[in-house]
Amino acid sequence: MTCRRSALGAAPVPAPTPVPATAPAPATALLGAALAAALSVAAPAPAQTPPGVLVVAQIAEPQSLDPHAVTAVNDFRILMNIYEGLVRYAPGTLEVEPALAESWDVSDDGLVYEFALREGVSFHDGAPLDAEAVVFNFERMLDEDHPYHDTGPFPLSFFFSAVESVEAVDPLTVRFTLEAPYAPFLSNLAYPTGLIVSPAAVGAHEEDFGRNPSGAGPFRFVEWVSNNRVVIEANPDYRDGPPDLEAVVFRPITDANTRVAEMLSGGVDVMVEVPPDNLAMFEDDPRFDVHEQAGPHLWFLILNTREGPMADRRVRQAVNYAIDKTALVENVLSGTAEVAAGPTPPAFGWAYNEALEPYPFDPDKARALLAEAGHEGAELTFYVTEGGSGMLDPVAMGAAIQADLVRVGLDVTIETYEWNTFLGRVNPGLEGKADLAQMAWMTNDPDTLPYLALRSEATPEQGGFNSGYYANPEVDRLLEDARRSTDQDERARLYREMQAIVQEDAPWAFIANWKQNAVTSAKVAGFELQPSFFLLLRDVTKN
Amino acid sequence: MSGLRAAMAQLARNRLAAVGLALCAAIALVALAAPLLPLPDPNATAPADRLLRPGAPGHPLGTDHLGRDILSRLVWGARVSIAVGLSATAIAAAAGSLIGLVAGYAGGRVDGALMRAIDVVMAFPYILLALGVVAVLGPGLMNALFAIAVVNVPFFARTIRGVTLGLSRREFVEAARLSGASHATILFSEVAPNVAPVIVVTMSTTVGWMILETAGLSFLGLGAQPPQADLGAMLGEGRGLLFTAPHVSVIPGVVIFALVMSINLLGDGVRDALDPRLKAGALAAPGAATAVRRSGAGEPAKGEGLAVSGLVTEFASGGRSLRALDGVDFAVAPGERLALVGESGSGKSVAALSLTRLVPSPPGAITAGRVDFAGEDLLAAAPERLRRLRGDRVAYIFQDPLTTLHPLFTVGAQVAEALRAHAPLGRKAAREKAAELLEMVRIPAARRRLDAYPHELSGGMRQRACIAMALANDPALLIADEPTTALDVTVQAQVLDLMRGLAEARGTAVLFITHDFGVVSALCDRVAVMYAGRIVESGPTAQVLADPAHPYTAGLIACVPVLGRPDRALAAIEGLPPAPDALPPGCPFAPRCPHVEARCEAARPPLAPVGEGRAAACVKPLAGAA
Amino acid sequence: MGAYILKRLALTVPILVGLSIVVFAMMALIPGDPATAILGAYATPENVERLNRQLGLDRPLVAQYFTWAGNLLQGDMGRSFALNRPVADEVFERFGATLVLAGAALVLASALGLLAGIISAVRQFGWTDRALTLLVLVGVSTPSFWLGLLLIMLFAVELRWLPASGMFAIYGGGDLPDLLAHLAMPAVTLAVVAAGVIARLTRTAMLEVLRQDCISTARAKGVAERRVIYVHAFKAALVSVIPLIGVQAGFVLGGAVYVETVFQWPGVGRMLVDAIARRDLLLVQGGVLVVAAFYVLFNLLADVAQTLVDPRLR
Repeated sequence: MTCRRSALGAAPVPAPTPVPATAPAPATALLGAALAAALSVAAPAPAQTPPGVLVVAQIAEPQSLDPHAVTAVNDFRILMNIYEGLVRYAPGTLEVEPALAESWDVSDDGLVYEFALREGVSFHDGAPLDAEAVVFNFERMLDEDHPYHDTGPFPLSFFFSAVESVEAVDPLTVRFTLEAPYAPFLSNLAYPTGLIVSPAAVGAHEEDFGRNPSGAGPFRFVEWVSNNRVVIEANPDYRDGPPDLEAVVFRPITDANTRVAEMLSGGVDVMVEVPPDNLAMFEDDPRFDVHEQAGPHLWFLILNTREGPMADRRVRQAVNYAIDKTALVENVLSGTAEVAAGPTPPAFGWAYNEALEPYPFDPDKARALLAEAGHEGAELTFYVTEGGSGMLDPVAMGAAIQADLVRVGLDVTIETYEWNTFLGRVNPGLEGKADLAQMAWMTNDPDTLPYLALRSEATPEQGGFNSGYYANPEVDRLLEDARRSTDQDERARLYREMQAIVQEDAPWAFIANWKQNAVTSAKVAGFELQPSFFLLLRDVTKN
Repeated sequence: MSGLRAAMAQLARNRLAAVGLALCAAIALVALAAPLLPLPDPNATAPADRLLRPGAPGHPLGTDHLGRDILSRLVWGARVSIAVGLSATAIAAAAGSLIGLVAGYAGGRVDGALMRAIDVVMAFPYILLALGVVAVLGPGLMNALFAIAVVNVPFFARTIRGVTLGLSRREFVEAARLSGASHATILFSEVAPNVAPVIVVTMSTTVGWMILETAGLSFLGLGAQPPQADLGAMLGEGRGLLFTAPHVSVIPGVVIFALVMSINLLGDGVRDALDPRLKAGALAAPGAATAVRRSGAGEPAKGEGLAVSGLVTEFASGGRSLRALDGVDFAVAPGERLALVGESGSGKSVAALSLTRLVPSPPGAITAGRVDFAGEDLLAAAPERLRRLRGDRVAYIFQDPLTTLHPLFTVGAQVAEALRAHAPLGRKAAREKAAELLEMVRIPAARRRLDAYPHELSGGMRQRACIAMALANDPALLIADEPTTALDVTVQAQVLDLMRGLAEARGTAVLFITHDFGVVSALCDRVAVMYAGRIVESGPTAQVLADPAHPYTAGLIACVPVLGRPDRALAAIEGLPPAPDALPPGCPFAPRCPHVEARCEAARPPLAPVGEGRAAACVKPLAGAA
Repeated sequence: MGAYILKRLALTVPILVGLSIVVFAMMALIPGDPATAILGAYATPENVERLNRQLGLDRPLVAQYFTWAGNLLQGDMGRSFALNRPVADEVFERFGATLVLAGAALVLASALGLLAGIISAVRQFGWTDRALTLLVLVGVSTPSFWLGLLLIMLFAVELRWLPASGMFAIYGGGDLPDLLAHLAMPAVTLAVVAAGVIARLTRTAMLEVLRQDCISTARAKGVAERRVIYVHAFKAALVSVIPLIGVQAGFVLGGAVYVETVFQWPGVGRMLVDAIARRDLLLVQGGVLVVAAFYVLFNLLADVAQTLVDPRLR
């Protein structure tokens, strides 16, 4: 599951810097030469990637290279290298820093954001990146009457639904006016949905812009051969200097096993989302480097608090006690995750409640709580999915959790669903269907997950994701206050308080925080995973 | 039911099937006994003991990614897979057969509509159909089972429809219909029982496939729900560990393979035992030359012609061997025309085929005697030598030109092929020569007919083409096996005429096989009469016809209608020739002979001279007694 | 002949129409919708409704069907929700890849199957026959997805002889040797079962043919045994084997789903599985139609081939 959003501080705004125009051009020529050299026809060891060209194994074919039209982390990995936004997350953190905007100002009431663009930046197609271009980007997404609104759909445009208007104050100044204070706004701007696309390219390609992207990022688009590769090459005019790599090739390899095979046989230089069990093998092999990075991810079970045994808090706590989370993260996930304590991942350092300790593994306590609640031997239905972004190894985890719950005397039946069917069943609420359901979220702001999934006003009937119908007025109040506050310390205090209450109420079983991983070939240097789960290749080198 | 017992016996004889049965039974037994076996709980997880290798203490086959015992999961998983495979097969067979029966029986629009619906399902890529069914119904073993059954319904429906279509035109169905039985009654009490063996055979060959399919769906995560084990799901779950813990996926893979393999072996056995064609031993491919298994070669015969002595040809059938030829002697001198006459079953065709070892083998084999041709023992000749003789020095014409000509080649090509098999002729030259040959046998518009296929010619034309083919290389001996029997009477005369004319003109010796004494006099110098695998009389045609020595010969002659004497009573011979495995101890003709005496039944009379150039195997010849 | 082909072609129309209705109905019955699939975690009822409106999915299903059918008649298969590109582009591109894979597999399966079937019929009951029969059984009993994994482990990872996945090398490839190197393992994996089935059918057909009179005639003519088997008998057996090869094409196309998954072959089978998962109705519709149309046409082709071989059918 992918969720994102972040809201962090506010600040000044940049000005455009020219990015030389280069249309997606004879890039094949460059590659042809550089790359073809590497492969003599059908020789053994067929896959040796040429120096200077990084081959990245993606988990799927991208949906589109229009950053406003996509939702998948998989696509973000490409997009973050082609485009830039007004702001970005500082490397290694989830803190917002300037990008295309040099600086920004936020009004005291938190309603007006004014960004100063960098001077002299242009898109790959040569058009200048100015305030009008930024306005075009947001109006395309938000204004149903915009001439290019039909080049969508823009599924994540609601990230900016708080925006009342966007104006170009002057060529290098953009002003956003919000309807209400909305703390996560800046963080959302740093998200791929906030990346700035070239209005000229949208105008030229219209609904096919997603296959002919043009941005202002460190790499520019070369070609997209469906189901085979997306190729981008260094943008020599990147505002911050061209990257070291000549080109990057993204290969969609949907099957994890095949990705591992390609990595082992040298067909790719980088693979992400390595199956946990293969990680140790790569760690032991000098030909490869393994990278890990904890991110704002939470894997949990939604418990149906509206009906059945789970309506009783003791039963929910019993479930939390009964599950051997350490065994799950250490064994089933081979140490690729850490035990989660509460609803907020520790990656949000400033908002995380360090005082929280995870529910210990205590089957006896679980049995006692069940006995106290009079629900020994309760029959429960457990929704498990077969896969899905951020779901890690859901079937194995589901089976292990089921076994743990059986051990404390609960009668748990698993029902597995393919991901979209699963979402189709879980998102409308568990009432009448299930008592437990797996779920995972990756967010970019501590506001997102609890605001969408723990408020009493966020039940599915009201358009939220509170599929377990948890309701606690205190939590509601804390979340609303945190969203309106523009003071980060104040927000942090509110979030920590919320975490303690939620942990005690146990509307979820808190299981794990994933550490994202990647394997690179030893030839690759300067590779770092980001907490945001993006893949930034600007500083990567390969000999 | 003796049919069933025979089928079981056949099954037991098939060693591969027996292996399959044993393996299958072993797997099934273990699976059935799962609850009784001292196995750990297949679903009990122990994450700390995960991915133990085979041989780990307490886990003979190791553990999976959740530390569950693989052996235990395999046993329980096999149980599930077998149950699902069998039930899916049963459901598909029941539904498919019903559709097939109704469509085949009803015919017309019902048939058309049902088959179009089946076509729609067939055209749907089967895995996607299964995916769709599972997606609609939701995941779970029962739904996967149902999906697989649905996907396989068309297979049964089409097979059963074909069989039913054939059956519903048969007399017994017609009879039932006339007797006023309802359609349902006819369908289920007359047609269905006859279709049943086909259904069983189809099922037995499908179960293995179904189990693979179930595994495939589970592999894609659409079958058994965790934590329940099923072989495909185990394979699917273990697949991600292929590089780190291969045993987790390799072991279930091997078990699926062994299970499906054993079922297929068994299924083949069942098919072999139940398939009527296979049961009759009909599906045996004869080799290029009849097997010869004789103990001694005997004395070579002298002379340029054909000499057959003591020839014994046997057929293996159901473990016994039947003597079709029981010591045959005759000779054909160069240029001579000999008629070999007898009822069907007398062995005359087998004798003709035995000469150049064309008797299908298996089941046939020559077990004694000699065939000398131009001073060479053909029974000792190498296959290549035989090939060179056949069609070149010794040529054949067979009974029914529609079946003996290859239906898929043009007449011209077949004649040309006879030429090119023995002479280094180019394509064009051969074609030219073939045209001449067709003209020689007086086929009108011969050149045009070169490109005609056999089914486009009349029976007479076809037989003429066969004659052209036989005479292509100017053989020394022409063996004609009832060449006119399949033709109508006027054409018979023309063809006989043609044969005699050509043989005379070329000095070709002819061995003419017939059951009809009527055509013998027109063509042949001498006659040999066969009965129950032996020659019972031989002599010059005119003499034998006028004055037969053997009562059997007399009987055969009496069967021939004589032109201009319609009043003459046609005396058919009473009774039937004895079966080769039920020969009486004495003269085989004795039971049918009007002149039978006690001594006839004591010993089989040898062929003895009964006058100049004549011989008969009778204790009391009717004529020419020396 | 021409009239026959036209008649058969006309018969495919109701099949395809029936199929498209089945697909529409099936997709309607599957829980979840494209908007949920696109929005993933953000699929709130409100967002779903907004996106459905944008995608034109808020209209009644029957209306959607007729819009689709109307566009199809004008050669427009619509646009994929999930891929943001015309369905026709994606389907034909992917179908081309499947055609290469399935075609290679079918050719391989036919060649091996026919040869094995002939040899085992000619050497009936000999050790060659037994060995081949066993081998063929091994073929039809091997789970193809499993075989694919083993092949990758051996030839790509251990020996490094063949590329593990994909259809072309990412760079420098694109020529025929490159394609063949990528094709080898998936085609073999896909061919194994079909080869087994074809071998079994061929053996039976050959056994039946070899005892026919016309084979005796050929031998009586002195035709060389090789020619008797490989020309006379084989041609006659082919008449009954050809339609079965047509049916096998269906199984090969179906089995391609597994093989495309394991080998990352960019084919239409895998595309359809993904499209079903994403509820990408128009893509499923287009893909199924193209595959089905191909299947039907291939069988028509098989019938025509059968007619060419057998003049009696003309």
